[in-house]
Amino acid sequence: MLFSSPVFVYIFLPVVVVVFFALDRVGGHTISKSWLLVASATFYGWWNPIYLSLLIASVLVNWFVSSAIRAQNENGEAARAKWLFLLGLAFNLGLLGFFKYADFFISNVNTVAGSNFVLLHLVLPLGISFFTLQQVAYLVDVYEGLAKEHAFLNYALFVSFFPQLIAGPIVHHAEMMPQFARGEQGRAIPENMSRGVFVFIVGLFKKLVIADSLSSIVVAGFDQAESLNMLAAWVASLAFSFQIYFDFSGYTDMATGAALMLNIRLPLNFNSPYRALTLINFWDRWHITLSVFINTYVYTPILRSFKRITLRNAMVATLLAMLISGLWHGAAWTFVAWGGLHGLGLVVCHLWRKQKRRMPSILAWLITFNFVNIANVVFRAQTAQDAGKVIGGMFGFNGVMLPTSLADMLSGLSRAGVEFGTVLTDVSAGPGTVFALGLLLAIIAFARNSIELMDGFRPRYLTLAGAVVLLLSSLYKIGANSEFLYFDF
Amino acid sequence: MTKNVLESLQVIFRDVLDSPELMLNPETAASDVPGWDSLAHLSLVDAVETEFQVKFALGELQKLRNVGDMIELISQKQS
Repeated sequence: MLFSSPVFVYIFLPVVVVVFFALDRVGGHTISKSWLLVASATFYGWWNPIYLSLLIASVLVNWFVSSAIRAQNENGEAARAKWLFLLGLAFNLGLLGFFKYADFFISNVNTVAGSNFVLLHLVLPLGISFFTLQQVAYLVDVYEGLAKEHAFLNYALFVSFFPQLIAGPIVHHAEMMPQFARGEQGRAIPENMSRGVFVFIVGLFKKLVIADSLSSIVVAGFDQAESLNMLAAWVASLAFSFQIYFDFSGYTDMATGAALMLNIRLPLNFNSPYRALTLINFWDRWHITLSVFINTYVYTPILRSFKRITLRNAMVATLLAMLISGLWHGAAWTFVAWGGLHGLGLVVCHLWRKQKRRMPSILAWLITFNFVNIANVVFRAQTAQDAGKVIGGMFGFNGVMLPTSLADMLSGLSRAGVEFGTVLTDVSAGPGTVFALGLLLAIIAFARNSIELMDGFRPRYLTLAGAVVLLLSSLYKIGANSEFLYFDF
Repeated sequence: MTKNVLESLQVIFRDVLDSPELMLNPETAASDVPGWDSLAHLSLVDAVETEFQVKFALGELQKLRNVGDMIELISQKQS
């Protein structure tokens, strides 16, 4: 079930919220939390009932293994605890590896060895990348004696709570389980309800009106066009960078809003990332919960496994962590390349920082934004050829074309090889698109983001009017469903 | 006890961050100290672990970004 589908907006969410508070009043916290668990299972099983059993198995195995680790730790059986921990880790990585990477592995073996093993064509279980990471973090923390909370209901909800189940934020047990354990969420709080509804509407608008409108340009430019002139290539790449931001942060807004209606606060996942002045800062602002996970549970153990912590070792660890992050995003070499690009970018950024030289802010922003934008091309392209086509186009390898209307004024340029024609045909766009992209850039650069708006929310008529306009223009488009970009991960 | 930990931390920080004038107090946070970035953080943690004969868990490292928390966790682990 998608957040932006009619069944979720009109039926599922209102019913879940109303029944939750009613049950809590009549039956108490355990009953109302069990209802949330049933609702989350329904939400997940809606898409594919068979894979629901996979989610349930994953939760049960992890809970039993972590309980066993805790028991061994308490008995001082460090060796047994370690074996159980490694077993749990292998279970999680094995499950993810099988469902997400089996075909990638097989096709690479076939390419290298010239063999003909048949691909499995497994459908990727929704959210497996997310609930695997959350449970790995829990296992590590239980093994290291940090995770105190272990009631089954709170654990199962921490993993499967429907707002964050299939595309994040990647929640951490230490911030979620105490919220479920306190049980004070059983009473509807008007302030949370109104803020939740508000940020849900903002997210719905970002997804349905902004991100989905950019989709046709991106598909035309990346997947359909034979070649792209310079301006068309820039339009295609910018359209995708804006699409993925509004799509993913819009999804996160909806998750945050739905959770807040139930008095659960999800962690911040996006903080105006395209305003970053350095690549290091970009990763403090983009998909923050993933950055924190990668930093804590991937980068740090890699660096600590070296004998000495030196700048060189830290840079190697950074590169490895970003390659792994790339592969986590998708089972294809384009994702690994994207991770590698960001890893190299971070290394350059750290080395520059060591020089302690200053750079004008506007230049720092231009470099950071354009680096991210070009790396996004590699992320989006389905093949290396497509990535080459778009990036080559951006650098003018497929010619420069200007609108016919400028032909008289700039006719001199035609001697330099500039053509005149209908520039944006290949990305099925026109002058209006350029204006829209400029507007989006201005919003990204200057407007307050949705979480700032939510935190500063005051019930005013003007806010209400704005929310109603956003809601109506979203509901106008609600029938035509397209999947969230991050559902494939 | 706390005072001794603070003094030892100051020696470690001055050494690792290469700033002999650095003055620490329990309120000092990473953002107050030039050079205490994500890279230096792990070097500091490594030096602190060796000095005090303690081991921090992965999940604790991000919470150690101010001196007061560091002192508290060290004392807790040593007791």
